[in-house]
Amino acid sequence: MSSGTPRHSVLLRLALSGGRSDRLRIALTAVGSAATTLLLLTAASVVCISTGDGPYRLAVLDQPGLRPGVIIALLLLTAPLAIFMGLCTRVGAPARDRRLAMFRMAGATPAEVTRIAALETGLAALLGSLFGVAAFAVGRLLLDRTTMGTFMVIAADGSKRSDIGIVRLLPTDVDVPFPVIVAVAALVTIGATVASAVALRRVRISAFGMTRSVPTNPPTKTAALLFVVGSGGLVGLGVVSRSSASSLPVLVGLSFALFAMCVVGLLMGSASLSASVGRLVAPRVSRPDLLIAGRRMIDAPYTASRAAASVVLAVLVGGAVLGTRANFLASQDPSDTFYADTFDLLSIVLGAAIVLSAANLVITTSEAIVERRRTLAALVAGGTPRAVLARAAIMESLVPLVPSVALASAAGLLAARSFFGTTVERLASFDVDGGNEFATVDVPVPWTQLVVLGGGAIAISVLATTISLVFLRASTRPSEIRAAA
Amino acid sequence: MNRHAPIPSLHPAGGATSDADRPVLSARSIVYSYGNTPALRGVSVQVGAGEIVAITGPSGSGKSTLMLCLAGVLQPDAGDVEFRGRLVSDASESERSALRRSDFGILFQFGQLVPELTAAENVALPLLLSGVKRKAAITAATTWLDRFGVADHAASRPTEMSGGQVQRAAAARAMVTEPSVLFADEPTGALDALAGEQVMSQIVRVARESATSVVIITHDATVAAYGDREVVVRDGMIDHARDGIGS
Ligand SMILES: Nc1ncnc2c1ncn2[C@@H]1O[C@H](COP(=O)(O)OP(=O)(O)OP(=O)(O)O)[C@@H](O)[C@H]1O
Ligand SMILES: [Mg+2]
Repeated sequence: MSSGTPRHSVLLRLALSGGRSDRLRIALTAVGSAATTLLLLTAASVVCISTGDGPYRLAVLDQPGLRPGVIIALLLLTAPLAIFMGLCTRVGAPARDRRLAMFRMAGATPAEVTRIAALETGLAALLGSLFGVAAFAVGRLLLDRTTMGTFMVIAADGSKRSDIGIVRLLPTDVDVPFPVIVAVAALVTIGATVASAVALRRVRISAFGMTRSVPTNPPTKTAALLFVVGSGGLVGLGVVSRSSASSLPVLVGLSFALFAMCVVGLLMGSASLSASVGRLVAPRVSRPDLLIAGRRMIDAPYTASRAAASVVLAVLVGGAVLGTRANFLASQDPSDTFYADTFDLLSIVLGAAIVLSAANLVITTSEAIVERRRTLAALVAGGTPRAVLARAAIMESLVPLVPSVALASAAGLLAARSFFGTTVERLASFDVDGGNEFATVDVPVPWTQLVVLGGGAIAISVLATTISLVFLRASTRPSEIRAAA
Repeated sequence: MNRHAPIPSLHPAGGATSDADRPVLSARSIVYSYGNTPALRGVSVQVGAGEIVAITGPSGSGKSTLMLCLAGVLQPDAGDVEFRGRLVSDASESERSALRRSDFGILFQFGQLVPELTAAENVALPLLLSGVKRKAAITAATTWLDRFGVADHAASRPTEMSGGQVQRAAAARAMVTEPSVLFADEPTGALDALAGEQVMSQIVRVARESATSVVIITHDATVAAYGDREVVVRDGMIDHARDGIGS
């Protein structure tokens, strides 16, 4: 080591010498990238559906006009997964970073230390995405089912007609080009690697340990602007897309970008709201839990909103799905369960996304507790009841969540209503000769489901925060008082 | 609550009343193990009213463990700890927590202030926990910060203060409820000699003024010299050969 550049194999061994939490981090990173790859490849199959493929039992897959919604939903589901992966790459990482930081005293440069962390994540992500490709190939074979069912046929003159025949459940007959598969696997691997390098760059590694860079005041105006432009853009895009024929890739790309603006706006907004609530509450209250939560919200507004990120995203997509569902159910005969089945499927995916988001919340909340364990343990030794600290932790993560969830579900719903309209044509009478009659009906606002979505997301988040409080007991044991900061 | 009780009878110099002769805190044959590692193997100590007891001994001898048992943070495996006639070692966790909040003050080597709170809020925290209103709590906190010479930093965050200033604010927090006993585990361990002396002399002065008993753990002879009596712990037991006066 006298050369000042320790060999990478030595550094890698040092990075992994922490044991169980290192193995857990690597396994979770691999699982996350496998799931992301699988999801992206599924989205790719929907994109690749061409005239020779189908028909499909699910209208959202069968009708070209409905596919953008499916593609957008699948792409958006990758976001909570990406956040999950980002968090996984940090499980037990502070301890690893400290070990690597000690290596800096032996002459390693910060770049080398960053490279070693990125190498670890990259290898795990590559392994995971290869596994995801394999799972996709196997899934295509296993899930290739056909049944008898109805599907819509659009004639050359634009008239619609229902037909009965053999339909596929899923687009398992679509060929996804090999270069696309390679590109997806590469994207996931490179994305995870770059993200872990960036995450480490935010941590200033010194020879004595590390300090996280202090977050700046969250920008309120930028947040509001992003949210307004994003959600307004989605509504506008919806109206435009209905009145004129636009190309699918442009539509998908634009709405994805606008959705992203919405989400970033919501997250920055919830951070800035968090800080404002903190500034309002902390200097006035007498309750110690409110005081601690309020001061934390001022000092670390992004901790809570980082945790809320995937919940808010899932609710935004959920609002859009509910709006779309209301639209399609209104256009169909109530006795027919065709669309209802389709949307039940989407709801399951959505439920999974929310549960995943809750897992993200568990990771961030527990990290915040474990990071501060010495201070918390000293407080408990001095007689502060754990319940006070527990309440402070819950408030800190839930205060910014509630308004963001409400805004997100509203924005998702509005986007769906503008894409698919607030009125639909429902088949009023069916004539074999093609002389069908349609009636115009209003699409109801799915209030009940919206409340279930928002309330459910908040309830699951409360549960997740409560689960992470199990770390509070372990983190406040007297032996933690002399733990390293 | 105890801290509102009149305290004249606690003066050590008084010596006449039977109350003053009775120890505030006494431990009888306490045993404590971390899993299979025995840390305390039958320790008995007494702390008189207003007395300053220095606990010394080699590293790993069980000093911190003894302090945590005396303060009711840890529950001994055997033996008992009595505070003013009440059995601390048998009390429930919430009872012990309440006792630590109202009758004990605890000071550690470092890290006990909440980094997000101002110094005044940190000191006020124990009062807020027992239901004192914010304004009164902050006023009391500022007074205590002043007694330790750091009133200038009432609005500062711990990260904006020096190690010695942080430690003096932590001492103010430990004293703000006017506890009967102040426990301090290496309170000067992270400070240089000068800052350490300042912190120690302030703690001793304030404790003498308010007749608070002090249990101070140290391996520093100059710190131990502040004590009325020195108790030496070795291998989880009291080393009577080196015991100081009055035991
Ligand atoms: N959390 C723990 N788990 C296991 N063993 C422990 C733990 N804390 C302390 N010990 C062991 O108990 C014994 C006494 O420890 P203690 O911390 O009380 O010593 P000490 O006298 O305060 O030492 P020092 O002067 O180094 O602070 C030691 O052998 C130590 O290794
Ligand atoms: Mg010790």
